[in-house]
Formats: sequence, structure tokens, C-alpha cells
Amino acid sequence: MIGSSRTPSGRPGPTSANPDLALAYAADDGSFAVYNDYSSGHETIRPGSEAEGSRDVVATWRRTSDAWRVRPAAPVEAVEGYGVFTFPYGPISMGVPESGRFDVRTYGERILALSPVAGYKSRRILSSVCGQTVSDAALRIERLAGNFSAAHVAAFLSAAESATGASVARGELWVRALAQELQRIYNHIHVIARVAEAASQNVGTAQAHALAEEMLRVQGSVFGHRWLFGALLTSGPRRRLDPAERRALGGTLKRHAEAFERLWELFLGSRTFVDRIQSTCVVAPSVARDWGAVGPTLRACGIAWDDRLRVPTSPYTDLFLDLPQESSGDALARLLVRAHEVRASFLLIEQLLDRWPVTPEALEAPPSSLASSRGLGRVESPSGDLVYDVTVSRDRVVSIGMRSASQANFPVFALGLRDGVFTDFHFAWESFGLVFAEVDG
Amino acid sequence: MPTWIGQAVRNGIVTTRYPEVPASESEIPPTGRPPVPTQGPNSLRAGVSLCPVGAISERAVDQGKCIRCARCLPGGFEFLGPVEAAVLTRSALAAEESPGALSRPIPPLAPLSRSLHVFLVDAGSCNACNLEVLALTNPLYDSQRLGIFFTNSPRHADVLLVVGVPTDEMVEPLRRAYDALPAPKAVVAVGVCAISGGAFAGIEGLHDSLDQLLPVDVYVPGCPPAPVNVLDGLLRATGRGRRT
Ligand code: SF4
Ligand code: SF4
Repeated sequence: MIGSSRTPSGRPGPTSANPDLALAYAADDGSFAVYNDYSSGHETIRPGSEAEGSRDVVATWRRTSDAWRVRPAAPVEAVEGYGVFTFPYGPISMGVPESGRFDVRTYGERILALSPVAGYKSRRILSSVCGQTVSDAALRIERLAGNFSAAHVAAFLSAAESATGASVARGELWVRALAQELQRIYNHIHVIARVAEAASQNVGTAQAHALAEEMLRVQGSVFGHRWLFGALLTSGPRRRLDPAERRALGGTLKRHAEAFERLWELFLGSRTFVDRIQSTCVVAPSVARDWGAVGPTLRACGIAWDDRLRVPTSPYTDLFLDLPQESSGDALARLLVRAHEVRASFLLIEQLLDRWPVTPEALEAPPSSLASSRGLGRVESPSGDLVYDVTVSRDRVVSIGMRSASQANFPVFALGLRDGVFTDFHFAWESFGLVFAEVDG
Repeated sequence: MPTWIGQAVRNGIVTTRYPEVPASESEIPPTGRPPVPTQGPNSLRAGVSLCPVGAISERAVDQGKCIRCARCLPGGFEFLGPVEAAVLTRSALAAEESPGALSRPIPPLAPLSRSLHVFLVDAGSCNACNLEVLALTNPLYDSQRLGIFFTNSPRHADVLLVVGVPTDEMVEPLRRAYDALPAPKAVVAVGVCAISGGAFAGIEGLHDSLDQLLPVDVYVPGCPPAPVNVLDGLLRATGRGRRT
């Protein structure tokens, strides 16, 4: 995912930073590669790896004259012939409210090839935080992708803490988990609503959006901010998590969990909805593995990888987490996985609230060191494995790299739609939960 | 057997009565209101060094820059400003008399006193502003009851609603979208990224304010503004905003 912060033209890359971060690598021309290696247990972090040409490079994001494009490492057969043309979809379209583009190769309805084009909304965030204090940098990191803010800040802070050796109070780790699980529930319900919208399920869409809105209100009432900006920072808005407030939160979430079950039962009972998303944009397990898919996209292909189970950190080490997989790899499977995860997250929050740590801990700040030290932070964001690689010196960010779930999953989405029809586009797009902001950085 | 109709009846009416009645606490989290100094000039003096984006001066808080991070609260600020914080000029967001200045009645933009068709453009957002704007169509806000509709084509729109800090790459698409709107038209800047660059002000390759690129008619502060804040901005364009 990440690489050097500057392209030859002197402009920052989509995600800048550590030239030696193996998770992604920027070549001299500014391209950068996405790595994954499931054969060795999905060890995506392998400092010192060689870049392109390595068997583990699954796709590159390449700078062209006007933007970044996904280019698969394996050659993709070019399709030519009478009536075959390419049309750009985006960067502004209401179907995909974020700014980004897809170059669609087609001869009519059938999609022969799809090339996502990113970079329209690159805010150069990672390069911009180099030199800032960790707490100032966090203000920009949480705004890298607003709907995944808790995951990004948690991964960033955990990388910085691992670099400096700072200990974190147990209560703060529980707050981070609570915020992330709330945001996961919101995102999954939002994705379900967007897929339903694409399928013209008007009543279901309205009700799913209403429930997603209720989750934003919960976040606003607990953390003072609907998108959890500042929620993980001690300087952020006041949290409402005293015992009575935690009890009230538990009651509210119980009602929302029941409302979700009723809603999901209705969706599964709608033949038109299920028919529309079944067999749409299928990702085979081998494709998911070879191309480095993560998150619900990966688990919908029957591959059981979730950072909360495979590389657990506190408090997940103390909690029960049940994560069933699906195997068909289609849009329906991705939604079924998300629905399972909504349930699992409600259950995780119930456990967190029941066993909330009560004793405040006095922690010693580590001595501020002049020497640079490097740390990695990794969390399961709503769309999958998210990794930060941060080097810190005297509480300032020296360099930073990041590999987001969207960066990993975009190539798989593009492949899954090959040979599909354009009417599948929106079901497929929404079912992946991809975010251009997370690619552009 | 559960049915969609049964579920709808069970849920009852969920739509807000805003702007007929004030926004409720659940509709507006603390950060949906601008921070105001609670100890006058002392707060402002203390706030200058606390604010990470330079929104606080010894004279006032520039709401067009405030990212609602809460760092100034220990210096004597509270999120107590009005929900109705949208204004028609950039300077009004930094007025010394704020927050009172934010709640003055606003005359309608002459040609837009009835229904609005809105075309949304993301010029470089984190996605939160987009999602707050699109939330207006969910049943809890139901912007259509107020004559506010989202359209898929700029050709059918009266309002270009822009979120995000404009990147170099989005300048041209943004201008083309603006040109495609038929006259009369208005531009509404939603979120401090579009107003001042917000948390990203000063980064090379970004345009710190939309009004350097397009004529902005309504400014809606916040990071992001909550749906009722956005509703207030759109209603103010029509002169129908709630008076505080
Ligand atoms: S909330 Fe944050 S950005 Fe706003 S005035 Fe206070 S310190 Fe500045
Ligand atoms: S104003 Fe805040 S919420 Fe809106 S796009 Fe900018 S960073 Fe995101």
C-alpha cells in the first residue's frame, strides 16, 4: 500500500510514506504495490521485501498522467473488437457519491473490464502529518475516512504506542473497542441499506437507513460526535460512559439489535431482493486469496481471517467472538457476513459494558526519546484488515505508512465485475463497502 | 409472519418535526453546535493556544475553521452555539458578535424561495459530510416534506452542494458541474473543509476555500454538520430557516 511520499513530479502519492514498508511499496515512478501472502498466514507485513516482481505483489496502484489506477500484477487479457469501447463513469456521479472514476470497457451492457481510477480526492494526509505531534496527526488521521474513523485512529495510535513503548490504560483500550464495534454496526447496516437501495427495495431501504441513523445518534450521545471524531482522544468531546450511562446504552443497543433482527428477517424473506444479489459479482476463494482481499469480502469466500481473532489485542483477548463465514463469494454472501457481524458486534459490546474496567490506572509516560522508533498497528476495520506503520521521534511523526481495506479490496471488486452486466454495478459496489477516501488518503 | 407494512406500522412516525420545533438532543450531538466562550475574553485568550486550527483569536471564534475537536473546552468553551449556524457570507462566521450573529434571520436568495433540487459534489471529503447530506433523505429527516430533493443530474438542479476540501484534481470537474447547472443557481458549501480547508488547511495541492473557485451563497459550518445543520443551510437559501 504505501511507499515514498513523493512521486517524480514532486507530488505526494495517494498514501505516502515509509519506503521500506513491505505492505506496499512505491517504485521510483510513484506506483505502489499491494502485498498479501496468505500462504504464510496472511503475513502482510514483511519489512525488507522486494517490490514489484515479487510473487506476493498482487496489484499495483499506478500513477498515470491524470490519476491513480489499479493494475493487477497478473496480466489481464485485453479485449478488442467491433463496437468495443471504454467509457468513464465518474468522477462525479450520484450512484457513487464519493469522487472517483471507473473506466468501463464494454460493447454494450456487458462489462469486459473495469478499471477503478483513484486520486481525485487525495488530501495528501499521510505526508502532511510527518513532523506533527502524534495528537495533532490523529486529528487528520481520524478524518482520512470519516465512516472508519475509529479504526484508523485506533490503528494509528497503536502503531505510535508500539513505537514509543507507551502503555495505555486498560479503560482506554475498552473505549477503543467500544467505538470500533459501534462504528462497525453502523457501517454494516449502512451497506445493507445501500444494497437494498440499489435493488429498489424502497421500504426496506428506508428502514435500514433509519436504523443506521439511530446508530449514528448512539455514537453522538456516547462520544459527543456522530462520526466518533475525538472519541479515542483524551482531548476529544466528553464521553458519557459512567455506570448509569453505560446501563442506558446497553438498553438502547438491545432495542436496536432486536430491530435489526426484524429487519434482516424481512430482507431475507424478500425473494426479489435475494434473487437480485445472489450470484452477483462472485469472488472465488482462490481469487480472494491470490489478490489479497480482506474483511467481509474475504470471509464471504469461506476464508476465516479477522484481526480480532488472528492477531487479538486487549480487550478482544478476553471476549467471546463468533464469526461465521459464508462460501459463495457473491454479494449475498458479503451481506450475510455483515449481518452476522452486526450480531457479533452487539454481543461484543454487551460483554464490554458488563465487564467495564472500574479501577483507574496510573500510567507512566515513557521517556521522550530523541531516537526514531518504529511501530505497527493493526485493526479489523469494518471493511477489513487495516495496518499503520509509524515512525516516531520525540512524540513527532517521522514517517507513516498505511494499508487500508479499500486499497486491498478494489482490485478484487474490479475482477469480480468482469463479464458482469452494468446493472450489477451498484449491487456489487455497495456490497464491498469500498471507500475512495481510504485509497486516496 | 412479519411484513414490511407491519414493521412500518410498528415503527410509527419517526420523522423529525424540525424546523417546526427546535432540534432535539438526539438529533444534535454536542459537536453539532458551535463552541462559544463561557468566560468572555478570558476564554478567548486561553483558547488561542489550545486550538489546533487557529480558529480562536482574542476577538472571536471563526466557526468557518472550527473542526469541533473540543480541545478548547478546558479553556472555558462549551458547545452551546445555535443549531442554526448557516450564514450567507464567510465573514459572518468569524464575526465578533458570534454566536448571536449566527442566528440572525436571513433573507431568501431571491429566486429560490420554493422547492430546491440539489446536486451533491464531493470535492475531497472524508465521506462523513457526504453521508450527513445524504441522510436527509432517510425517514428521520425526510427532506422531501420540505420540498428539498436530490437530483442525479446538475442539469436538473438549483443548488450545487459541495462537501470536502477541493483538491487540484477536482477543480475542473467541480467547475464543469457548476457550469452545467441552469441559472438561477446557488452554491452551498457544507462543512469546514469546503469553507476553509478545515483540518487540512495549508496542505499543498488543496484549495482552502471553495469560494476561491466558485461564488458561494450559503456556508454551513461543522465537521461534519449534522443533518439538521445542513437542513438549516438549505432552508436558509429559501428564506425558510428556523429563527432562533
Ligand atoms: S473546538 Fe477545536 S477547532 Fe473548534 S475552536 Fe475549539 S479548539 Fe478550535
Ligand atoms: S468538514 Fe470534516 S466531516 Fe466534512 S469532509 Fe471535512 S473532515 Fe470530513
